[in-house]
Amino acid sequence: MSTLADSLFGVIENRISPIAARLSSQRHVVAIKDGFIASMPFLIVGSFMLLFSHPPFSQDSQWGFAQWWLGMVKQYNDQLMMPYNMTMGIMAVFITGAIAYNLAQSYKLNGLMAALLSLMTFLVVAAPEKDGALSVASLGGEGIFSAILISLYCTEVMHWLVKYNIGFKLPEQVPPKIRQSFDLLIPIMVIFLTLYPLNLFMESHFGLLIPQAIMSVFAPIISAADSLPAVLIAVLLCHLLWFAGIHGAAIVGGILQAFWLSNLGLNQEALNAGQDIPKIFIEPFWQFFITVGGSGATMGLVILYLRSRSAHLRAIGRLGFVPGMFNINEPIIFGSPVVMNPLLFIPFITTPLINAVIAWTATRTNLINHVISLAPWTTPGPIGAAWSTGWDWRAVVLVAFLICLSTLIYYPFFKLYERQLLAQEEEMAQEQLAEEMK
Amino acid sequence: MVKILLCCSAGMSTSMVVQRMQKAATQLGLEAKIDAVGMEEFNEKIAEYDCCLLGPQIKYKLADFERQAQEYHKPVTVINTMDYGMLNGEKILKSALALIDANKGA
Repeated sequence: MSTLADSLFGVIENRISPIAARLSSQRHVVAIKDGFIASMPFLIVGSFMLLFSHPPFSQDSQWGFAQWWLGMVKQYNDQLMMPYNMTMGIMAVFITGAIAYNLAQSYKLNGLMAALLSLMTFLVVAAPEKDGALSVASLGGEGIFSAILISLYCTEVMHWLVKYNIGFKLPEQVPPKIRQSFDLLIPIMVIFLTLYPLNLFMESHFGLLIPQAIMSVFAPIISAADSLPAVLIAVLLCHLLWFAGIHGAAIVGGILQAFWLSNLGLNQEALNAGQDIPKIFIEPFWQFFITVGGSGATMGLVILYLRSRSAHLRAIGRLGFVPGMFNINEPIIFGSPVVMNPLLFIPFITTPLINAVIAWTATRTNLINHVISLAPWTTPGPIGAAWSTGWDWRAVVLVAFLICLSTLIYYPFFKLYERQLLAQEEEMAQEQLAEEMK
Repeated sequence: MVKILLCCSAGMSTSMVVQRMQKAATQLGLEAKIDAVGMEEFNEKIAEYDCCLLGPQIKYKLADFERQAQEYHKPVTVINTMDYGMLNGEKILKSALALIDANKGA
């Protein structure tokens, strides 16, 4: 058993971790992730407004409060939906600018200029003007993958031109601000010369905009990423990394974010159109069901620690309980420690996998609502689950059930570990006693 | 006045460590500015501080961050796993002070 465990830990430490570390330090991956992070506040507020515009009551509810809310939403629908339309509805616009900014910063280029260049390019390919209006159809979830590709392309063009010193050379006496704006002339021209013909070609031959074409290329991957096996693989990878002491959620989540946001966009469109909600795997689903209390679904473990007979575990329980309610569990992971601890390996990996299967099945069979909104990841589990499913009380019940279940799964392993620690604590106490007796 | 920067994935769990370190600094009668940031902010912040401590969960960033911090001659290290888990502000603060001293000597 121990040699098997050792070789397994060896593989995680020596093979998986370095790859993950390299991947998550890779310039473009970092820029994409930071771009998503920067866009998040807009998306959270926007999706909150969507929820507000879709009260969780049936149309013929007799309750006064519900009737008032429903009536108000009906009357002021356009006004209430405006914050949603200008954030979630055009999220690819924010993402394009934010990714380009971050990538440019990492190349020590002018971030603002890169962001503006990418924004222009994105609008050219995703929302060409027609009859005095820009169409927003491709600026939401459908535009995410285009946003990523376009912002990377534009910034790389800038970088390439700077590297080979191609551009207008204005004399030194010209103020820097003015020189900056001239710096962009060539990149803009290059972008128009390369992308715009492609755009026109796509439109005249296939009747498609570039974002729609990109989406149809990505469609099989997107739908595969929303399957239970994909969820389980992602959860497993994340927790193997955490077990090696690496922030698995930041790495796996960073890569999944594009899929999560595109799924969220599809769900919200369906909600708005009054259709069945199609997608399951979105960040809150991961955050509030699979890893309630933080990676490893450690809420159950903290509860066990609180009443442990081991002084060390009790101390960790006290330190970790409140942060754990907000899904922060570094004290548990590093203090227990869970990291590289063979006794806690099995429950740390299996609990989130079991949670994933249960929550997935519950969503699929409509026992709980699908995720249709974003809540900040630090929202306490039950509240976050209710919030992101459109105030579904059944989601709260499910989270409570999953916490109890995780307590049960952790219990036998916790007991083993506790016994080991108690023996150590006992030994130390006796040594101390012997010291004093001398 | 010492200025210490802590950095982790989102700056959340390190901010709990900051509170403990701040408390330890007050007890030692030490004037200290200690802040926590998410890793995307490291680059723009490091110049303002004397050193940077990373949460152990992002130790894979060490080589990358060390390279960036070298420009400003600032030392970067990873916090001891157990001290981090136990939120041992005093020990972490002392190790940071030792790190700054060692850097000055160099």
